[in-house]
Amino acid sequence: MFTKEIILRRIQSTKFYILIAVIAISTVIPLVAGDPFLIHVLTLMALFTIYASSWNLLASSGQGSLGHAAFLGIGGFVSSLLAINLGIPPIIGIFMGSVFSAGIGFLIGLTCVRLKAWFLAMVTFGFSVIAETLVSQFDDVTHGILGFRTPLLVPSGLSFYYFAVLLATLSVIVIYFIMKSKIGLTFRAIHQNESESKMIGINTAKYKLYAFVISTFFAGLAGGLYAHFLRYINVTVFAADNSFTPLMMSVIGGLGTIEGPIIGSIIIVAIESYLPIMDNLLDPVLGSLFPEVSFVGPYLRFLGLGVFLVVVVIFLPKGVSSLIPKIHNYFRAETKKANNIERK
Amino acid sequence: MNVRGKIAEITVEFHMLDLATLVLTLIWGAAIGCIYVLLATGLNLIFGVMKLVNFAHGELLMIGAYVGYSILTLTGVNAYIAVFLSMAIVALIGVAVERLAFRRVLGSDKLNEIFVSLGLILIFDNIAVLVWGEKSKRIISPFENMSLTLGEISISYDWLIAVIFVIVILIALMFLIKKTKIGMAMRATSQKSQAAKLMGINIEHIYIFTFALGAALAGAAGVLYGIIFNFNPYIGALPTIKAFAIIILGGLGSIPGAIIGGLLYGIAEQTAVITLGGIWRNAVAFSVLIIVLVLRPKGLFGEKGE
Repeated sequence: MFTKEIILRRIQSTKFYILIAVIAISTVIPLVAGDPFLIHVLTLMALFTIYASSWNLLASSGQGSLGHAAFLGIGGFVSSLLAINLGIPPIIGIFMGSVFSAGIGFLIGLTCVRLKAWFLAMVTFGFSVIAETLVSQFDDVTHGILGFRTPLLVPSGLSFYYFAVLLATLSVIVIYFIMKSKIGLTFRAIHQNESESKMIGINTAKYKLYAFVISTFFAGLAGGLYAHFLRYINVTVFAADNSFTPLMMSVIGGLGTIEGPIIGSIIIVAIESYLPIMDNLLDPVLGSLFPEVSFVGPYLRFLGLGVFLVVVVIFLPKGVSSLIPKIHNYFRAETKKANNIERK
Repeated sequence: MNVRGKIAEITVEFHMLDLATLVLTLIWGAAIGCIYVLLATGLNLIFGVMKLVNFAHGELLMIGAYVGYSILTLTGVNAYIAVFLSMAIVALIGVAVERLAFRRVLGSDKLNEIFVSLGLILIFDNIAVLVWGEKSKRIISPFENMSLTLGEISISYDWLIAVIFVIVILIALMFLIKKTKIGMAMRATSQKSQAAKLMGINIEHIYIFTFALGAALAGAAGVLYGIIFNFNPYIGALPTIKAFAIIILGGLGSIPGAIIGGLLYGIAEQTAVITLGGIWRNAVAFSVLIIVLVLRPKGLFGEKGE
């Protein structure tokens, strides 16, 4: 499928240079500014890049999951439990967790591929609640309710950061090649018009199932990394917030594009990590307006994110990343104009 | 009078396996189901006419409960009069939501409706926390702690009134849809919006009216919910999903289906809570949903569903 020629063409594209630039920047930043909190934030960005990209791949086939936290949690729990009970090194465990997550994804996918968008959203959301209930129910196996300390994957701090960036880069590259391949084209065809795709002979159920399996594999991988990064896991990993985050990242960044989830996870993680610093300033000003709550900051932030999401969907349907070519074109037009004036 | 306490009591009694408990389970299930029926009917109406799925519908229930609570604390009127006031206010909120958010993505990618709904969930949840706080509240009804006793069975008046309210509201809705001019216009728009437009129906107005009606039903459900249960700003999500489970049980777009589905669902949930334990309350919704979707993707009674 990937002839040498195609790979060469990809390598010569602008996106490839951007990718190289992003990797270079992410490698250099921690060396320039070695603040531990910054490294923590950057690691989260890398983790959520994998997670959001996996969600985005599924959405590119027209299937918007509202329960991806289930697969994040499954990946995390499987990897951590394997390490604790059987002594399997986490570096192998995270991949076993992803494979297990993909297996569950396959089973859920068998149901989901026949469903319309909103039923699918409901069923996936429901699956995350069922997963949460089951993990709480079988607490003596999972230790999910109180949670437990997960073993070390790689030494935390800088080395974990580089490991996460490495895995994120590999995942993004794999997802990029999938999305540019015939499979990715089929996903987009199904997203645009499922019945017409069926008519031209595409086995839509099969391809939607592919999307499910690939996506849940990467979600499980992100989950394993997340559990070993936080060094702790409990049942709250299945919470709805964790299902909505990759959606917000992908939609705000740009749905169905490769750079969208990356930009989105950088924006959202930055908002969630750095805006709380402003809470202390905000509270004396706005605190008196809302006497019912003790800290207004977090709620205003979530409110703002909600408004941001709605505004992006309505006014910028292709996400923030669609602004980049616009800005590029604008500057090109400006320089052209300037050149023309000079020539005159 | 705490509902959880009551359920725990019943769990103990259930092991004695007497008939009274069985009857009570059925009645409570039906009463819980009734509230979800209102929500499901609103969703069904909006879907039927606008072909729009509002995942934030449960948030309107939550807002309805808080509006009812505020009306009660500010003016001190009867809780059951607050139902109507809350319906009116939530209907206005519904109009704003339709005009400002959903109208703009209607007819584009279906996923966009889901994204807008999620944004609305975040917006409504956090506005509710900012205005009313995070602590759970309850609407105090005039029949607090009063119940009807028939032999071994005692049923709280609030449950009975909730059931009666739902029945009255549904009959009024049926009348509106079947007998009035605007109901006819709604049905026409639902069947074929383009043809309805050509017949001189202003479908924009029908959309606004339908959304407001659906929101009003959610507002009524909210106050009834608030009388029976404690509520906090985060209760909205689960009723939405339960309403979906009911719609799927009853078939998309079918109001009688939603009523039967709602009653069945409420009883199933209540039975599961009593036999398996409270932890299963929410998982039941999804198990029902997934099982029905696997076996009959068009719902139990749905024929023309999507």
